[in-house]
Amino acid sequence: MEISISGAKVYGYIGPDIPLLGRFPLTETLIVSWIVMLAITLLCVFLTHNMKVEKISKRQALAEWLVEMADKFVIGNMGSKFSYMVPFVAALFATSLFSNLIGLLGVRSPTADLNTEAAWAIVVFIMITAQKIKAGGFGGYLLGFTKPIPLLTPFNVLSELSTPISMACRHFGNILSGLVINGLIYAALAGAGSALFGLIPGAVGNVLSTIPILDVGIPAILSFYFDWFTGVMQAYIFCMLTTMYIANAAEG
Amino acid sequence: MGSFVLLSEAAQIEEAGLVSIDTWTIIAMICNLFIQMLLIKKFLFKRVRDVLDKRRELAEEELRKARVSRDEAEKLRTEYENNMEQAREKATQIIDLAQKNATAKSDEIIREASQEAVAMKARAEADIALERRKAVNEVKNEIGSMAMEIAGKVIEREVSEQDHAKLIDEFIEQVGT
Repeated sequence: MEISISGAKVYGYIGPDIPLLGRFPLTETLIVSWIVMLAITLLCVFLTHNMKVEKISKRQALAEWLVEMADKFVIGNMGSKFSYMVPFVAALFATSLFSNLIGLLGVRSPTADLNTEAAWAIVVFIMITAQKIKAGGFGGYLLGFTKPIPLLTPFNVLSELSTPISMACRHFGNILSGLVINGLIYAALAGAGSALFGLIPGAVGNVLSTIPILDVGIPAILSFYFDWFTGVMQAYIFCMLTTMYIANAAEG
Repeated sequence: MGSFVLLSEAAQIEEAGLVSIDTWTIIAMICNLFIQMLLIKKFLFKRVRDVLDKRRELAEEELRKARVSRDEAEKLRTEYENNMEQAREKATQIIDLAQKNATAKSDEIIREASQEAVAMKARAEADIALERRKAVNEVKNEIGSMAMEIAGKVIEREVSEQDHAKLIDEFIEQVGT
């Protein structure tokens, strides 16, 4: 039996061959992420259409609650001077959450591709650096690496670079592990079912052993942890770290 | 970039490595994140904040209106109280005036009554005096004629009344005084 767990599919290449970058690959990650974006945007439009000032609907109440929660989360972690960060953090959380959960529909999560998390981590890293430079000036930012003693400079640089890498890899690893374990469980249960029902003699055993009966039900329980729990947790952790790092950077 | 594939299917569709880095995808995903941010901002945050702002404005407007109407009610109450005070003062004034008028009137009546009483007394006294004079005159006449009779009898002849009236009058006058 072969178990195949691979990266995102590449449906094709578009555009000219640019040196160093190559041609633009139209990957599964990209297409599913567009579906995710569309879903989030449609949900926003659905929640906020026909909003009223008085006698609000449940839909509007949910929209207002979401905005309030986003405000509370960002301002609670970063202070009110970072209120302009609310849409960014909300977009990060929504994209991460929807990307993680869209795996339940059978498509490959965009977050099961390291490129997605790398993109987000790069953005967050640039924001952290920008806040540090804003707080202490460019010289102050560079000098910060030599503290508390100049000997630690290489380690400080490493630790600085490890921030985005660890953020990206934490999220990616959790989602990928869910994907891998789910794949293994499905395959193992199919194998076990096939072996078990193969014991039944005659045609009945032959037919039953080709149907992965054990795959019904049991993976759903594991999926609750690996898809739902991890999916929500990783989105939350990524946003929490983003806000914390940026707020800390601004404090200098 | 290094990549590893657990086991790749022999399919027509190319597959990227399980853990692989592709610069184009990263760039695209960064763009996606920011586009998503703008979409969420436009379709969720802006709309909800607009409604929240409108609601706050409405609440403030209601509060302002309530304050205005409370002020108005306060003004009305003050005005009403003033009016009541004025009315009460006016009533007191009217009562005072009525009392004063009544007192004046009663005084007037008493005064007039006593005046009248005095006048009546004076008239009565005048009447009495007149009556007395009349009575005196009558008595005088009576006495005159009696005296004439007596005198006639005494001298046995008729005394001419006209001749001696003057004489008698003088006599009575002397008696009267």
